[in-house]
Amino acid sequence: MTAPWHKAIRDVWHERTRTILVILAISLGIAGFSAVMSTYAILTRELDRGYLATNPASATLWTDSIDDNLVAAIKSSTAVSDAEPRRTVRARIRTGPMEWRSLVLFIVKDYGDIRVSTLNRETGAWPPGTGEMLIERDAFQVAKAKIGDTVTIKNSDGDEHTLRVTGGVHDVGQAQARMENAVYGYITLATLAQIGEEPYLDQLKILVARDRYDEAHIRAVVDDVKRVMEKNGHPVRRVEIPEPGKHPHAALTGTLLLIISTFGLFVLFLSGIIATNLLTAMMASQVRQIGVMQAVGGSRLQIARIYLAQSLLLGACAVILAIPAGMWGARAMSLYMAKFLNFDITSFAVPLWVYLLVAAVGMIVPLLCALYPVWHAADISIREALTSYGVSGNKLRTSFFDRALAGIARPQLFAIRNSFRRRTRVLLTIATLAAGGVFFMAALNLRSSMIHTLDGLFAQRKYDLMVQFAELSPTENIERAVRNTRGIARAETWIVSQGSTLFSKKPTASHSVGLHGGATTVDKNSFVIIAMPADTHLMQPEIIAGRALKPGDEDTMVVNSALASRLPLDKPARIQMGPGQPTFRVVGIVREPFSPAVAYIPRAFFDARHPGMANSLRLKLDGTPINQVKSDLEANLRKEGLRPIASMSNGDGRYGFDQHMLMIYIFLIVMSAVIALVGGLGLMTTMSLNVMERRREMGILRAIGATPAVVWLMIVIEGVFIGIVSWIVATVIAAPLSKGVSAVLFMAMMKTRLDSIIEIPGILIWLAISIALGAIASFLPAWHASRSSVREALGYE
Amino acid sequence: MIELRGLTKSYETAAGAFPALRDVTLNVPAGEMVAVVGKSGSGKSTLLNLIGGIDYPTSGNVAIAGTSIHTMPAGKLAAWRGRNIGFVFQFFQLLPTLTVAENVMLPMDFIRKVPARERRPRALTLLNRVGVLDQADKLPAALSGGQQQRVAIARALANEPSVILADEPTGNLDSVTAAAVLELFRQIANGGTTVLVVTHERDLAKIIDRKVELADGRIVENAA
Repeated sequence: MTAPWHKAIRDVWHERTRTILVILAISLGIAGFSAVMSTYAILTRELDRGYLATNPASATLWTDSIDDNLVAAIKSSTAVSDAEPRRTVRARIRTGPMEWRSLVLFIVKDYGDIRVSTLNRETGAWPPGTGEMLIERDAFQVAKAKIGDTVTIKNSDGDEHTLRVTGGVHDVGQAQARMENAVYGYITLATLAQIGEEPYLDQLKILVARDRYDEAHIRAVVDDVKRVMEKNGHPVRRVEIPEPGKHPHAALTGTLLLIISTFGLFVLFLSGIIATNLLTAMMASQVRQIGVMQAVGGSRLQIARIYLAQSLLLGACAVILAIPAGMWGARAMSLYMAKFLNFDITSFAVPLWVYLLVAAVGMIVPLLCALYPVWHAADISIREALTSYGVSGNKLRTSFFDRALAGIARPQLFAIRNSFRRRTRVLLTIATLAAGGVFFMAALNLRSSMIHTLDGLFAQRKYDLMVQFAELSPTENIERAVRNTRGIARAETWIVSQGSTLFSKKPTASHSVGLHGGATTVDKNSFVIIAMPADTHLMQPEIIAGRALKPGDEDTMVVNSALASRLPLDKPARIQMGPGQPTFRVVGIVREPFSPAVAYIPRAFFDARHPGMANSLRLKLDGTPINQVKSDLEANLRKEGLRPIASMSNGDGRYGFDQHMLMIYIFLIVMSAVIALVGGLGLMTTMSLNVMERRREMGILRAIGATPAVVWLMIVIEGVFIGIVSWIVATVIAAPLSKGVSAVLFMAMMKTRLDSIIEIPGILIWLAISIALGAIASFLPAWHASRSSVREALGYE
Repeated sequence: MIELRGLTKSYETAAGAFPALRDVTLNVPAGEMVAVVGKSGSGKSTLLNLIGGIDYPTSGNVAIAGTSIHTMPAGKLAAWRGRNIGFVFQFFQLLPTLTVAENVMLPMDFIRKVPARERRPRALTLLNRVGVLDQADKLPAALSGGQQQRVAIARALANEPSVILADEPTGNLDSVTAAAVLELFRQIANGGTTVLVVTHERDLAKIIDRKVELADGRIVENAA
């Protein structure tokens, strides 16, 4: 090994403190990068693997009662490899005194022979016996129940029954129960009969024999199956074809991974800035040696090679540190995401390409960071190099900044001016620290914006409680039950239905119950139709274009923001509603963030067709506890022979939103904490470098009478000053950035524009954090500098 | 060996152009030991920098062993310098993370005139010649100032240069060590290498061949 290589290696060891800082800075970025890449690899593989292992149905067809002959007829088709009947019944489960939650009961004919959309047995008994229910593993906490408990449920008639919880299952294809604020239960046909429901199965889940991931083929097979079913006297009223081979949460996971990946790259970029700072400082301290090497015949390339080799060595060390940390991070992140999305990870194995990519990035990043400082330093003239004193002599007392500092006490003035002696370095440090602040403040701004936007949404709803009926019911009976219930200040009967736009020729998926029954295939263009009194007191829509409904309207429609792109303002809208295709005129657009597509029409439209009927009740209470009203009202409705199937308070409706928002908010706060950590590390390295380079000056200060405390204070002031400048930068950037993020991110994820709110406490909290970071980051370097003797400091080179 | 013709060097400063050397003409034959003396700021170091190809003249010619270096591009100049010039500095300027022997081998590694397997033996020979062979595998920090300067001289000789340029090589040494170092330069000059030493030492008459005195960038004395 030649002397230049010896130098490359020994310098790394000789400058141990800086070496450790550089390795830490790079490894932090590489660890973040490796964590997100590994998470990406693990999740994309495991999400689909777990889902596909359940043999998910290619399509589900809803009909009336399905018998064995029908199943056999469908299975006899060569295009269908399997078919299995199921049923889903909506009910409610008691979760506390007068507290009921939505219960979705899945009925399986034979738990010993589930072949399509299988369930994974988790804990307790299997299969459920008569009078027993299994609960989806994520739904236990929603149900506030455990295995062995006896729970009370209400069937669709409102009759109460008890079931014993005997086990837990994992239903991979279901949305997380906590997010939906619903309980998923699994029972047999016999249990269904026991709780007072007709014991039949009405869903046929089919699995196509070939081309399982070809949606067009699946659709063609479904058409054939539908014909067979109808030929056998079973009209198909609804079809659902999920995206083939894709977990229902694949798109959401993709968006989350995209955000996480962007964040990983950002952390990598920030750590690159710190590494560049440190490597620049390392090069600055090497200037004389470079001059000597040039004097003894070293060319620019030969000298640059020594330092680039050092960077590679640092990169290799950083990769060795970063990969285990990144893998640990990937494991934690994958587990969190898996829990959030309710799926299991069977293997945390990371593919080889991730290791290779991380190693390549780990080696290239420090090389890139070093390229400019190395090339620049290797280009310095020998004369300059041999007379270098480390800190350049910038002109002071000439700029506006310097004049603005007039009047500040000299030690503090010295500290503030010192901050800007290495301007590039301090600007990069400020940028790194400010990035943490921007994320933190943007996170708080986003949180406030989300809360404010949701407040606005719920403020439009002037009712406290909504009750949904199983079918159209006489308003006379509903109103009598309301009159007999205490605590209700105002009540209105509404009609909730389903419609779809007609221009789509590509039916793909659906999740609706047609009010009018009838054979129809609904698709992604479906939307909710709410018919309410045109002069309603229980809804105050935020009209953003056109007008609200008004008395006398009949064929008019107000659409919400999610539907406005499909049904434009002032245009006739011909829609599919049950078997009919009425035409409305869109007269207004109401802003409803985070909401699915909804159209509001006057009740008069239904009154002309179904006079005196309604299927929904909205109530404003007078302050009586909501559970009390719910309980009394339900009893009174049943006395009237009505069948309420669901009741939901505004609080219940808000819960799901808050759960989703909480996830985003926590994610943003964690991100800002990580970036603040990187920024703090950046500030610490800058302060260490500043102090190291000015050890001789510290000696001079001490020699002319400065006490160790004064030296210490000057350095801490310098750190705090940088922290405050970064806070100002962050504050200026955070407001427009959070507005931009809310516009882009939320529009992409949720098709919603947020109200823009600036969280003032967030600005003040970050000021405190910036000052604290500045003080903490400069504390140690200041301590060392103030402790070293005058002789040591003056002799430092 | 060294031919300087009408050499002028000016530096741009905030106060305007500062002439460090003015119209200097000087010839130094091979194997001569020359002391360059003068007050601080008289242009001694500038003269050495121009001879060593560390800096370019504002005007005038610099020729070393018949090669005009004032027109040579910087890239070529580094290799030329490594082959033809040996530098010795006041503060020794040894690389702290290389051993003594490695410091001496460094110019050989850069220039590659000496085959790789012969570099260490040659380094040891040179260290022996300057009297610090027993320190070969130590780091410079473990050596005294005089020993470090001997190592620096050995390093300057690594590629058998025709010229040694020493900028105040004794400025940081006690009088006994300084005398020993100057004696070493005398021996090197006796071997045929041209040696230019910038020095403040007064008692030099016995060991030097010529004294060149500078004042305000001009040669005011050039006496053998």
